[in-house]
Amino acid sequence: MSHVSRIELDVKDLSALKEACRDLGFEFMAGQTTYKWFGRYIGDYPLPEGMTEADLGKCEHAIKVPGAAYEIGIRRGGKGWMLLWDFWYSGGLERKLGTNGGKLKQSYGRRAVMREAKRKGYKVKETRTENGIRLELTGGRA
Amino acid sequence: MRKKIFVDIMDDGEIKIETHNFTGKSCVEESQWLKDLLGEEVAKELKPCYWRKDNKKMVKKHLPLCG
Repeated sequence: MSHVSRIELDVKDLSALKEACRDLGFEFMAGQTTYKWFGRYIGDYPLPEGMTEADLGKCEHAIKVPGAAYEIGIRRGGKGWMLLWDFWYSGGLERKLGTNGGKLKQSYGRRAVMREAKRKGYKVKETRTENGIRLELTGGRA
Repeated sequence: MRKKIFVDIMDDGEIKIETHNFTGKSCVEESQWLKDLLGEEVAKELKPCYWRKDNKKMVKKHLPLCG
């Protein structure tokens, strides 16, 4: 072993995000410019970096989650795309996505790694671990 | 030994990358694309192999204790 890194995930690849949505049974709504949320900012949590109150509810694409009243907004920001969602319990998203949207992040990360690893000639083996998934990459030409 | 890169993606979205059987700085170079793809590296732990040069001698590194 040579080194271990911990990574804070950024969504940069929309194609991988679309595949992740399909894997989870979510619907990627290309070009949908609003997403459903509580509808009024009550100041109980800080706004995402670089956003104003007027930006809430607006997006460039959205994700519909079956069984949830609220939706996920996708908006350019940071180093790629921001996933915006209201975790208020009555919206139903946290039940489907897990805390901090973990299930969608995991699914996106899996797809993003698999796509790029295959492009670079790596063989990818996937196994389920106690708390997640493990992708084993061998070979590679890049 | 075959070079391997492990990517662990936890159910809460946390990601960990581990490189195995690399020597020297090649582990960092050959896994950089994963860090660029996935986001920002928030922590890194270097293993003894990092300080080994081309399967030969271990390069001893000394860190100043103070000053």
